[in-house]
Amino acid sequence: MDFSFIGFFLVKGLEISSPIAFSAMGGVFSERAGVVNIALEGIMTVTALTLVWGAITFQSVWIGLLVAVATGMLMGLIHAVVTVTFKVDHVVSGVAINVFAIGLSRFLCQSFFGAETQSKINPFLFPKILGINSLAFWLIPAAALAWFLLYRTVFGLRLRSVGENPEAADTLGVNVTLLRYAGVLISGALCGVASATLFADKWITGMVAGRGFIALAAVIFGRWDPVGAVLASLLFGYADTVRIVFASKIPIPDQFIQMFPYILAVVVLAGIVGKSRAPAWDGRNYEKGED
Amino acid sequence: MARHRRRFGVYALEQSAPFIGFLASGAVLTFIIMALGENPGKAFQGIFKFSVSDPAKLAALLSISIPYYLSGLSIVIAFRAGVFNIGNEGQYFIGGMVGAIAGVYFPLPPVLHIPVVVIFAMLGGALWALVPAVLKAVRGISEVITTIMFNNIALALVNFLVNGPLSGLQKGTSLEPQMKKLLPSAVFGKLNGFFRAIGWNVPNYVYLDYSLIVAIVMGVVIWFLLFRTRQGFEIRAVGTSIDVSRYAGIQVSRVQIGAFMLSGAIAGLIGLQEIFAIRGFYTYNLASGLGFDGIAISLIAKNSPVGIIFSSALFAFLKQAGYGLQLFSKVPNSVTYAIQGIMILFIVAINEILIRAARSLRKKEVG
Repeated sequence: MDFSFIGFFLVKGLEISSPIAFSAMGGVFSERAGVVNIALEGIMTVTALTLVWGAITFQSVWIGLLVAVATGMLMGLIHAVVTVTFKVDHVVSGVAINVFAIGLSRFLCQSFFGAETQSKINPFLFPKILGINSLAFWLIPAAALAWFLLYRTVFGLRLRSVGENPEAADTLGVNVTLLRYAGVLISGALCGVASATLFADKWITGMVAGRGFIALAAVIFGRWDPVGAVLASLLFGYADTVRIVFASKIPIPDQFIQMFPYILAVVVLAGIVGKSRAPAWDGRNYEKGED
Repeated sequence: MARHRRRFGVYALEQSAPFIGFLASGAVLTFIIMALGENPGKAFQGIFKFSVSDPAKLAALLSISIPYYLSGLSIVIAFRAGVFNIGNEGQYFIGGMVGAIAGVYFPLPPVLHIPVVVIFAMLGGALWALVPAVLKAVRGISEVITTIMFNNIALALVNFLVNGPLSGLQKGTSLEPQMKKLLPSAVFGKLNGFFRAIGWNVPNYVYLDYSLIVAIVMGVVIWFLLFRTRQGFEIRAVGTSIDVSRYAGIQVSRVQIGAFMLSGAIAGLIGLQEIFAIRGFYTYNLASGLGFDGIAISLIAKNSPVGIIFSSALFAFLKQAGYGLQLFSKVPNSVTYAIQGIMILFIVAINEILIRAARSLRKKEVG
């Protein structure tokens, strides 16, 4: 095993971890504001498609990224309206949005590209650094920025207060509804970025392949902290990298290697309980003046 | 008398969300069809022709509803207990496989064999729910996440087993990977003859098989359990408020584990029709997504074992409607998936609004 191989492994792992990490960061913002967002998977499915569409239509992958972020926020807006305004159970809304996203993405793909299950090839790609999608390197500054936003700004303090104790926050004049919307919209935007780190050359149905759900596990494992969530995502991402890089080299049936990241997620979750506490009002709706 | 009428009005208001949601999403569909430059009349005619236009089409709807109903039922029992079992997809693949193992390797007379495969399918599904159930009840780990992980683990596991130790294919054959064919005694017979005898002309290509009986029996059992037994009361109590249940002396974690495993057991039955009646062998290429559909089916019917009769029929209708649209107009099939999602969102949101409206009406009445 030489150094170039180790380097390749480290860099490849970063690329594979980024879609999970960006959406997990999104999950942190949403859940810190008190809204459970299990629609990360569905939102990424849609943004991955609009990214390709935007890039081809405007002949620039950066505009594609903008389109993806905007659609992510739109999808987040649906979740926010349904949960925050109409006070529907968050898991219920998330499940419905995931169903909606499957149909919507296939329908849009059909309308944009004339085929339901895959798009045209997108020739406009993100620049590569060290052989991987350069967006993956944004992960580190993004995590730092998210941490700063959450713990060192007034906005972050208010966002957390709304997830922790909306009643008290409301009494102090914090707009609970607005901040919950903000948290969910940020998670939608980050899903857009996450899908951009996935593959930019083509959309295929089912390409997100459970990463949005792994991201949810990373949120919990990372103790609802953006840096923790990114570290947890790296754990899952590198576990997946081991699978991809070593699959042909280990005498274990391929299917067991496929299971590995999921089993790891369950074991890790089983091991950390008691040490990890969700925001007190995570997943609960807040009603002004409820008696 | 007037007061009674008013009470009924409030009750009807509370219950009408599914209908309003259905109509609203129909309006959205009409809008999409028009936006695609297609004539809505023609599109809806296509839907009608392919779904409900004659007794044979209705029989096909009933046949398609069977796995939907079982999937919805497994979610009903979980959600009533406040357990978000998102894992019935995996429980369905594992349950079907365990049932098929009993169907391939146990030489039994038909009268025993069929109940045995049904029980084994339930055991398989229940066992696959065990770990997430215990992790939730004992260690408080979100079952939403563990069950999703278990879905992925299940798919990889059946893929391994069907390709490896349980493979029923000769070396070198190029059929899809599958287990050995079921023993004839384990294959589900059809009820089409019975339906023809009572005057419903069910054609031979439609599968109204023993899984219909299983679905009916399970529906009655679960309804009875939920609304006529102490255990059912405990399940509903835990689903309504864990704190109150604990205060009332209910062993919350035991109830949650029980409901979770029962949900898994019913999920194990989702594949009966495809494996034991249609295919006659097990493969991991079973219809995917049936488990997830159950979540929507249960939600639309407000987690009622009776209501899901209608919502599973609705899903069967939507499936056929999708094909109808595809065949008779230029509206793509995928629209129906998007409409399913929109419909669920409409129904749950409208439901909240109506419940609030009903609550404030009741308050007025009291005050």
